[in-house]
Amino acid sequence: MLDINKTPNDTEMVIALKGRLDTLTAPQLEEELNSATECANCLVFDFTELEYISSAGLRVLLSAQKTMNVKGSMTVRNVSDEIREIFDVTGFSDILTIE
Amino acid sequence: MNIKWDNDIVTIALEGRIDSGNSGDVENEIHEAIGDKKPASVNLDASALEYISSAGLRVILRLRKDNPTLRVINVSSEVFEVFEMTGFTEMMSVEKAYRQVSVEGCEEIGRGANGTIYRVDKDNVVKVFNDPDSLDDIQHEREVARLALILGIPTAISYDVVRVGDSYGSVFEFLNATSFSRMIADEPEKLDWCVQEYVKMLKLIHSTLVPEGKLPDMKETVVGWAKFMQDYLPEDKAKKLLSMIEAVPQDNHMIHGDYHTKNLELQNDEVLLIDMDTLAVGNPVFELASMFNAYSGFFEIDHEAIKKFQGFDLETAHKFWQKTLRAYLETDDEEVIKSVEDKARIVGYTRLIRRSIRRKGLEDPARKAEIDLWTKELIELLDKYDTLLFDVDLKREAPKDELDIEATEENLDTVTAFVDERLEKVGCSMKSQMQIDLAVEEIFINIAKYAYKPDKGRATVRVEVKDDPVQVKITFLDHGKPYDPLAKEDPDVTLSADDRPVGGLGIFMVKQSMDDVLYEYKDGANILTLVKSL
Repeated sequence: MLDINKTPNDTEMVIALKGRLDTLTAPQLEEELNSATECANCLVFDFTELEYISSAGLRVLLSAQKTMNVKGSMTVRNVSDEIREIFDVTGFSDILTIE
Repeated sequence: MNIKWDNDIVTIALEGRIDSGNSGDVENEIHEAIGDKKPASVNLDASALEYISSAGLRVILRLRKDNPTLRVINVSSEVFEVFEMTGFTEMMSVEKAYRQVSVEGCEEIGRGANGTIYRVDKDNVVKVFNDPDSLDDIQHEREVARLALILGIPTAISYDVVRVGDSYGSVFEFLNATSFSRMIADEPEKLDWCVQEYVKMLKLIHSTLVPEGKLPDMKETVVGWAKFMQDYLPEDKAKKLLSMIEAVPQDNHMIHGDYHTKNLELQNDEVLLIDMDTLAVGNPVFELASMFNAYSGFFEIDHEAIKKFQGFDLETAHKFWQKTLRAYLETDDEEVIKSVEDKARIVGYTRLIRRSIRRKGLEDPARKAEIDLWTKELIELLDKYDTLLFDVDLKREAPKDELDIEATEENLDTVTAFVDERLEKVGCSMKSQMQIDLAVEEIFINIAKYAYKPDKGRATVRVEVKDDPVQVKITFLDHGKPYDPLAKEDPDVTLSADDRPVGGLGIFMVKQSMDDVLYEYKDGANILTLVKSL
């Protein structure tokens, strides 16, 4: 189960994720991002309530990062220690801008 | 039909047979009797009821609609079966008619926390509960005894409930049984044999894994004792006591809770455990604590009292207890034995002090002296030790579990839930659980996507948990195309986002987060094993 909450404001699009980002829910996020990356130049992910992320989720994040590298910027906020460690192991800590 | 009013309580005596032939008449008669009155409660007395069909049951249902407090009482065993089979016993209060039994002049053969056991005839004993309102306790004991029996603990289950004066009793069949206390008292030459059998049973109990939620958790109870003690110990000691108890890990293995020699019986060469109402789950230190109390703690000032309780003297009790510790721990190392006994004493004294204070022990000089002695000893022990844990070889078998499931992506949630349920039992950290979930997802999704492509097939997921130290082993088996996911080269995780291919991280993450990942192709099956210490 994954809840995706998009809040656009003047300068950025905030996407808050709640639940599990895995093989089953990643396509959902991918679809939402397709429209989001089209209209926003600044993408912010809020992971406060994200419990879990698997490689399927990382794939989506990496794709988004690649797109935003061309278009604007992308930031990830409020990452838990557990997810932080996954980012460290996979080298994502260096790729993503984590606040 | 006999209808009696006692103020606003009406008791209606049902008689003979109630079936579709007469249920209408019965219903009318009851309605006429109640009329416009609003009874506070309705009792249907079924003493003389021989049979009731579904038409009769419907009458009761309708009657209950207007009178939610309706009870059916004095139901014979035969009629009770009908109520039970139709689920009525779960919907409303249906009470059996209990046989009246007298224990006057019967031999008292045991006495526990909640009741006294009498031999009523050659083959039967009755455990009479102290609390007259004990039907729930009786039901509880019966349920836990049944659970224990299913889990492989030899015990007696009561086959009937009877009235004894104003109390209730449960009846057990007991042919020529002798308690271990009696054997130790009467036949001292059997002491070593008793120790051996007593420890064998103790280890069996402590290696029995109990399904979650079936028995109370002893740790919660003991934490409660420690909290009570916060007002009766110096602040630092009280804090230390509580933190030592809170540090005891969750353990879902069985403990008896009142394991002394009166609760072990020898019947026709078979050793039986009785008095099951204190059954719980928890760390063995909690069991040793109550054992220490039964042989020593209770009698530290009044040395003679043990004779009344166990039938043997304190010296014999000490001998038995010390031999038991040695056999249980399988060591002669005095230092080890002493430290385990001391840890048991910490919990034991905590219980004794709280129990005595709650029974107004501080107001009685003799009992206050006892509390002071226990408290002094407890404080000394708290100075000496930092943990309640100790090593004991219980030869616990690793619980094994298997799930056979169609390998489709949609089934990922089922597989994850299956694995997580087993991890929760062993108290897995959030981080380890997430790492294991990740690995499970990668492997299972790989099987679902590729193993049988373009067809579909099944996968088996097996979870094994090993104690001391806790280690999880998860095995995936499929009969698809031979494929070794480990053979794939690790991705370069130092590349920038633009240079990195999307994907290819899954197996790498599995390798990083597990202690061991093994692959083999054997007998037409891909077998992938994940190992992780918790």
